[in-house]
Amino acid sequence: MVLDQFSLRGKTALVIGAAGAVGRAAVVALAEAGADVAVATTTRAAREEVAANSCANEVWALDRKGFAASIDAASEADVQSLVERVAAELGRLDVLVNAHDLPFAKPVQEVSPDEWRRVLDVNLTGVFLACRAAAAPMLSQGSGRIINIVSLLVERGMVNGSALCAAQAGVMNLTRALALEWARSGITVNAVGAGWTEGMGILADEDSRRKLDRYLPGKRLARPEEIAGIVVYMASDAAEYLTGQVVWIEGGALSHV
Amino acid sequence: MSVLDKLRLDGKVAVVTGAGRGLGRAMALALAEAGCDIVAAARTRSQIDETAGLVRDGGRRCLVVPTDITDPASVAAMVESAIAEFGRIDILLNNAGGATEGMGKPVEEITDREWHTGIDTNLSGTFYCCRAAIPHMLRQGGGKIINVTSGFGLRGGRDNFMYTSSKAGLINFTRSLAMTYAERNIQANLIAPGLFPHDNPAMVEWWRGGKFVPMGRLGRDEELGPLCVFLASDLSSYMNGDILALEGGGLAGGHAPTGFAPVVPLEADARRGEA
Repeated sequence: MVLDQFSLRGKTALVIGAAGAVGRAAVVALAEAGADVAVATTTRAAREEVAANSCANEVWALDRKGFAASIDAASEADVQSLVERVAAELGRLDVLVNAHDLPFAKPVQEVSPDEWRRVLDVNLTGVFLACRAAAAPMLSQGSGRIINIVSLLVERGMVNGSALCAAQAGVMNLTRALALEWARSGITVNAVGAGWTEGMGILADEDSRRKLDRYLPGKRLARPEEIAGIVVYMASDAAEYLTGQVVWIEGGALSHV
Repeated sequence: MSVLDKLRLDGKVAVVTGAGRGLGRAMALALAEAGCDIVAAARTRSQIDETAGLVRDGGRRCLVVPTDITDPASVAAMVESAIAEFGRIDILLNNAGGATEGMGKPVEEITDREWHTGIDTNLSGTFYCCRAAIPHMLRQGGGKIINVTSGFGLRGGRDNFMYTSSKAGLINFTRSLAMTYAERNIQANLIAPGLFPHDNPAMVEWWRGGKFVPMGRLGRDEELGPLCVFLASDLSSYMNGDILALEGGGLAGGHAPTGFAPVVPLEADARRGEA
C-alpha cells in the first residue's frame, strides 16, 4: 500500500534547531508519522531551551519517545555527545534533520569578523558537525537520512543578508557533496528549501512580513507544517532513490522574476 | 489531522496521460491506492485497458479514454468525457511524452517534422491538457498539476535536442502556471525521474544497470508512486512551480565521473590543522 511507505514507525530521528518554527513542525510531523524524536536547540539561549522542552512534550503527547537537549550547535563536543545520547537512549539514529536557525541581518560594512564567524559557525559548520557525527551510526547501520533545512537565500541574494546567504549556499552544496560521498553507503542527503514561513527568526517585524505577503505568488507565507510534509517523505522508505536534491516548498517564490 | 492522513486522496479524480505503461501506470496505480478515481488517457487502448483493470481491482473507478495529446481536439474530448463521467478534475498528471524521432542526431540532420514531433509530444501536449483542465479546476476552487520533466530539462545532452528543449520548456511553463494560478489554489509542480528502465532488460543493458548513477542503480517504476501521491495531496499545499527529482544523485554531480575523488597532497601546515 503506497501510503504505508510514508510511515516512520520504528525509526528514530534527531532534529537540531527544534526551537525554530520549521524545526518544531518537522519534529511534530516526524512523531505523527511514527518516529521517536530527539530535539536539540541551535544555541544555549534560555528561550530556545524552553521551546525545545515544549517541543519534546509534543513528542511525548504523541506517545513517542524522545528528549530535549540544550546545545550549542557550533560546538563539536556538544554535537558529538548529543548524537551519542540519541544512540544510547533511542537505540539508533535513522534520520537527522538540520534546522539550524541563527538569524542575522546587517549591512555588510557593519558586520564584524566575529559576527561573521559566529553566523557561519552555527549555520554552516554546525551542519557539517552534525552530519559528521551522525555518519558513524548511519554508516554502521548501512542506512540513514540526512535532511538539511535551507532557505531561499541558497538561490537568491538579500540586502543585509551577506553572512546568512553565504552560510545557506554552503549548506546546499555541502548537501550535494555528502550525497555523492555516501551514495553507495545507504545514506541519502537532501535539502528542504523552505520559503518565507510564519515564525521564521528573520521575519521578526510585522512590516517585512506584510511586504512579503503582497509579493508572494499566493499572497501568503507558508505555515510551518506545510514545510514539514516533505521532511516525512524524505525520511521515509519511499524516498530511497532521492539524494543530493533540494526540494523547494516556497509557494512559487522562486518562479518570480 | 495527522501528517499521514493529509496524503489521502479519497473522492478525488486524477487525469493521468500516458497511463498505459511504465511510470504513468505506476503513478496512476499509486494515486488510485491513495483513494483517487482515475481517468487513464493514452494512445494505445489495450494498454490503458490493462491499467484500468488494475485500478478497478483495487476498488477505484477508472475511465479509459484513448487520447493523442498532440491533437488539441482529442485532448479537449478527453477532458469532456472525464467531466461527463466524474464531474470534476482534481489532479492532472501530464506524464505522456518521450518521442524518439530524430533523437541521436546532430542539429544539422534534424528534419522539421522530427523537431515538431518532439516539441509537440513533450511540450505542446502538456499545454493542451492544462488548457482544457484548468477551467474545471478554477470552477472547483483549486487543483493540482503535475508535469513530468527530466534531468535533460536541466542539463544538455549530446545529439539530444527536441527532448532537452521541450523538457526545459516544461519547467518554465510550470513556473508560469505557478505565478498565474497560485492565488486561485492551483499548485503546479514537476517530477524529474532519473533513469527508469521499466523492467525492460534491453534498457537495463543500455544503461549498464545504472553503474554510473551515484547510487549505483536504476530507478524502479513503483518508486515514483509515493512521490506522485505527495505532490497530489494536501501535504504539498505550499509547493508551487518546483521540481522533485528522483534520480539517485546524478544531478548532484555530473561534472566528473561517479566516485571520482581527487587526492590533493596537503601542505605540511594543513596536515597539522594550522592552515
